[in-house]
Amino acid sequence: MSADPTKQTAKPMTALLNADTELPPIDVSAIPKQLLPVLDIEKSTTVTRVKVDVLAILKIVKHSREFYPTSVNGQLLGLEVDGVLEVTNAFAVPTQPGSEEDMTNYQVEMIQCLREVNVDSSSVGWYQSTRLGDFMQQPLLDVQASYQASPNNPSVVLIHDTAKSEQSGNLSLRAFRLSPVYLELAKSGKFTTKELAGKGLTYGNVLEELPIEIESSSLADVLLRELQWPASCEQELLESLQRPSSFNAKLRAKKLADRSAVADDTEAATDALDDGLSGLLPTRPTAYLARPMCTNALDMGQGLTGGGAGSLLRQMEAIGELIDDHIHDANQWMYWKRGEAKELNRRQQYVQRKALGNAARVARGENAEPEPTEKELDRMFKVLPEPSRLDALLNTGNLNLLTKGVTQSRGPALAKMFMAQGLHEASA
Amino acid sequence: MSTLNLNLPTLASSLVKSGATTTATTTAQQCYIHPVVLFSILDHFLRRNDNQERVIGTLLGVRSDDGRVIEIRNCFSVLHFETEDEVELDIKHHRAMFALHKRASAREQIVGWYATGSSLSKYAALIQDFYSREAAPFSAVHLVVDTDMSDGQLGIKCLQGSPVGAGAHPENCLFLPLPYELQYPDAELTALQAAADTTESGEGFSALVSDMEQLEKSIAELHGMLERVTTYVQNVCTGRSKANNVVGKYLMDMLAVVPTIDTEQFSRLFQTHLQDVLMVAYLTNLTRAQLNIADRLQRIV
Repeated sequence: MSADPTKQTAKPMTALLNADTELPPIDVSAIPKQLLPVLDIEKSTTVTRVKVDVLAILKIVKHSREFYPTSVNGQLLGLEVDGVLEVTNAFAVPTQPGSEEDMTNYQVEMIQCLREVNVDSSSVGWYQSTRLGDFMQQPLLDVQASYQASPNNPSVVLIHDTAKSEQSGNLSLRAFRLSPVYLELAKSGKFTTKELAGKGLTYGNVLEELPIEIESSSLADVLLRELQWPASCEQELLESLQRPSSFNAKLRAKKLADRSAVADDTEAATDALDDGLSGLLPTRPTAYLARPMCTNALDMGQGLTGGGAGSLLRQMEAIGELIDDHIHDANQWMYWKRGEAKELNRRQQYVQRKALGNAARVARGENAEPEPTEKELDRMFKVLPEPSRLDALLNTGNLNLLTKGVTQSRGPALAKMFMAQGLHEASA
Repeated sequence: MSTLNLNLPTLASSLVKSGATTTATTTAQQCYIHPVVLFSILDHFLRRNDNQERVIGTLLGVRSDDGRVIEIRNCFSVLHFETEDEVELDIKHHRAMFALHKRASAREQIVGWYATGSSLSKYAALIQDFYSREAAPFSAVHLVVDTDMSDGQLGIKCLQGSPVGAGAHPENCLFLPLPYELQYPDAELTALQAAADTTESGEGFSALVSDMEQLEKSIAELHGMLERVTTYVQNVCTGRSKANNVVGKYLMDMLAVVPTIDTEQFSRLFQTHLQDVLMVAYLTNLTRAQLNIADRLQRIV
């Protein structure tokens, strides 16, 4: 064993490290045709689709799951090609509070390290995890606005909902960009009723949703196939069950085979499991059977009792809170409106009084007093500026998202309930 | 120290007692792997440099207190360079990446390393020695993914090093297989399911489906499975095919999972929940209608 730190022999290594400073001249003919649009930095494109690599999705899912229910975020890396944003990798950003500088340093360092191993090093946005879908918050919009500050920046924000994914058994991942209308208003900072109505900004068009596609490399495809059809699975079982098509039916079958063959050994081994290691590890072999290994799309729990009712309760609570906020906002606005009307009324009365007084003076043959100018009037009767409507707008947006989510989840829930009924009738 | 040079020692130098001794005492017995690790390795392999045959990287994860159970949760790539008689690891990069990962996820420690390729690299023992010291006082795990697919599959092997010989030499190392299992938390399963649909579409990509479509697919799958099982059971009953005990036990376990609820209780539960669901749906729709009206009114103002 010899570890000699002073001996720096490798040329490729130094070449790699110096890659920043000495870029070789680019041979345009060597660039694949589909990448040519990337080089044209002056063109203006709008992103129409988002393609996310399986790896990036898994990283996002892992990060959100481990910190659930805290909301976490991270960076997306990839490339924009001809209106399609390809997200190929992602990394987590620490949740501990740190200074702005710290965070930036972290991201810059991470991107540099990843570039050394040939990962796409350009940031194409960020991701955030959410719970039950009320992600329309001021900070999110501000961060996204800073991403989209420069024109033609293709950045998106991916929203992953862990709770919804687990409940419905269907991946909940959405991609958003801020609409041009919102950006325009945010620049001026005027979120008044007049401006909102004039520009046509409503809760529905603050964010623009982009369709997401999942992409996987050929090697990843092979891996996915193998995960679905483990070769080590007991051959007999394979033949007799022929083609269990559900994602993990094979694995379950394998677990069972293992269990019946070496039941005692497995038990002993799993007994050694440390509970603190992870809540995810089943502590007893039978847990494999009690826990559905295929996705939860058919989970009856949501249809009848237990977790389903709990999630419904949580959703209703969240909706209730939002409605309260909404009423509060409305009251505040009404209060302001009444104040404004009162002020305007007093101002009108004053002008009328002045006019009447002047008319009387003229009738008496005296000189009329000069009419008060608009400026003077403004100074005398101060109308408070309208409170920003943005909060109310976002609140409405969240309420809309939540209620929409609930409505959408009720369909499958009803279907599951009637399925449970059918099953019950058949077995009774 | 930016690079670490590990030389295959000559006979003479190996006779000299080398300073580094393997300190790992506790060996692992079971290993759980998260799917994200495998996908990261494949991605790293696809992004390797020209003329590079294999890639290696560091595995991160958590251990049980006694170090017998390991859960590999994450990994990152490490730059390395191989020649005829030398292998070089970019230690600086490794340390930097670990420090960065540590900040985002404090619980994850170094548990071992991965490499791609159909066989063990000839420097595997040396690298294993390095990682054993990184992972001390526990032993390091070595994950091999056969990206050449020499057996027609991605043979994923989980190994752990064990010192051989009287004197502890880092270059003497026996790799013993370690039983491993893949972990599928619910959230990851949904992602994998969505990705599996991608491979089935055959186009290399696919759009996400709505909950209802997903449910429809699941029901169709369930239906298909039930039909296959019915056919199989009937065939066994009529004596047309041989009974299989494993399948029989499996089916029995499955049937035992179906809960038996009293009919009256069931209908009561069903009715109340149905009413709840319909009520919630009605209220949420009402709220949305209100929002819409408010929105339209605002435009008139």
